[in-house]
Amino acid sequence: MQHQRTSHHQTSVGCKALAVIAWLSLTISLADPAAAQAQAKLSQETFEIGDEPGRISTEEVIISDGPYARQMVFFRSSEAPGTVVIHTSERFLYVVQGNNRALRYGIGVGREGFQWSGLVQVSRKAEWPDWRPPPEMIARQPYLPRFMAGGPGNPMGARALYLGSTVFRIHGTNQPETIGHAISSGCFRLANGDIIDLYGRVPIGTKVVIRHGASL
Amino acid sequence: MLSVAKTLIRAGLMTILAVPAGAGTLDTVKQRGTLQCGVSENLFGFSERTDQDQWSGFDVDFCRAVAGAIFGDRAKVTFVPLSAGDRFDALRANRVDLLSRNSTWTLEREAGLGLAFAGITYHDGQGFMVMKDLSVTSALELERARICVETGTTSQLNLADYFRTNSMTFEERAFPNAAEALAAFQSGQCNVLTRDQSALFAERLKLSRPNDAIILPDIISKEPLGPVTRADDFSWFTIVKWVNFALVNAEELGISSANADEARTSHKPDVRRFAGLEGGTGRMLGLDDNWALYAVRAAGNYAEIYERNLGVGSRLGIPRGLNQLWSMGGILYAPPIR
Repeated sequence: MQHQRTSHHQTSVGCKALAVIAWLSLTISLADPAAAQAQAKLSQETFEIGDEPGRISTEEVIISDGPYARQMVFFRSSEAPGTVVIHTSERFLYVVQGNNRALRYGIGVGREGFQWSGLVQVSRKAEWPDWRPPPEMIARQPYLPRFMAGGPGNPMGARALYLGSTVFRIHGTNQPETIGHAISSGCFRLANGDIIDLYGRVPIGTKVVIRHGASL
Repeated sequence: MLSVAKTLIRAGLMTILAVPAGAGTLDTVKQRGTLQCGVSENLFGFSERTDQDQWSGFDVDFCRAVAGAIFGDRAKVTFVPLSAGDRFDALRANRVDLLSRNSTWTLEREAGLGLAFAGITYHDGQGFMVMKDLSVTSALELERARICVETGTTSQLNLADYFRTNSMTFEERAFPNAAEALAAFQSGQCNVLTRDQSALFAERLKLSRPNDAIILPDIISKEPLGPVTRADDFSWFTIVKWVNFALVNAEELGISSANADEARTSHKPDVRRFAGLEGGTGRMLGLDDNWALYAVRAAGNYAEIYERNLGVGSRLGIPRGLNQLWSMGGILYAPPIR
């Protein structure tokens, strides 16, 4: 238990620390007109929204309508059933079912520059994870709590799936309206009801394939 | 002498019998200054026309991409709305240069009508819409279901075949038209409705509570839809075919309408060939070397066109399914531009 807490703390710091880097790169890019133009274009696709600790989102909240609702879809894959495949450019997470099908969830993904690809395994699972904003983040947003126990008002949401030894994870959110957008620092977020559903289907050791679109 | 006379006669015959081939569709289009593109009269997501005579849709955007490849200008298209009955005659009679009108590729339409399908832009097929409370996620779970279908359609035949093949039984409720079948589904006379899947997504929006119904991922028939040209102009056919390939390749390479100009500064060889910086593919087609980039700038890459009209960005919300890149869970596979 103690060990879990420690590793959670470290992961939390890593994941959120990237937000500071994102903020810095944004600040720098705004000084350069060409980059600022690129940034303006980017902001149409992403939206800037800070974490809102304390805002309540219960475990019943799911995306119930539209393309980001949990649904069975056609999906050809040579991956074994049970494998999780994430397409960041599409904002979808798939759980391969075999027979050319997959269960698809809408997700929120990393901002441009914070999208990544790779092959990892689910290394740990946690219910209602705690949140410890890193010092850099508190310096920027002094109103943030130093520690927030897991619960319906926690930005980490109802469940978390830790991805290998990376600083990233698949977690819930208390901001379900961010599903379908690119706003995070590289983590993947689902509405609380949806991450709970996913959590029950994905054991530790599950293979997770993260793909994002090609770049020029 | 004789051979010269023969040649002259042959040339004369060619002029009489095959004016369009002699002139070349590309030259005709360039001279006219606009592409004449045959589209549906009004088909949700594929071809829609506003009161201000603005056209939008998946098939419409393909026309724009072809116009982009030829003129570098998405606006140089004249849309010609055609009914299902008129469409192939209109193409054969040169009233349009290209048909981008939700048409299924079949052998009869090529060998029988002298037409050539330039590829598949949308893989459609028959699917099932079910009420959520039925709690099924696969067509194979539809044993003993009550299924509404339109009478006298291939859908009705495919339905019977599918259940027989899978050793399942069902109760058929047949109706003379699509509207009545939908009404019967809504009123609970049946708990499943079957039609082409793209149409089911449009039908679902007409339900009083669309969220009560889901569309199963299964596809039980082949309805490959694509652009059509006359079979007597191979160079024109090749252009249309490669515009389609260009849109798919653009998605795969990460080239979009938003970054088309940046593609010119890429160091990746396949991006540089796409952008016309190397390879000279445009000249071979009789187009500007920027043709592929112009097509994408005019309409977006395949993903942009799909999402805008049919997918996440549209009211229909049709999952990519088969119409996803081969490397991403679908079957879209375009030969390389080189």
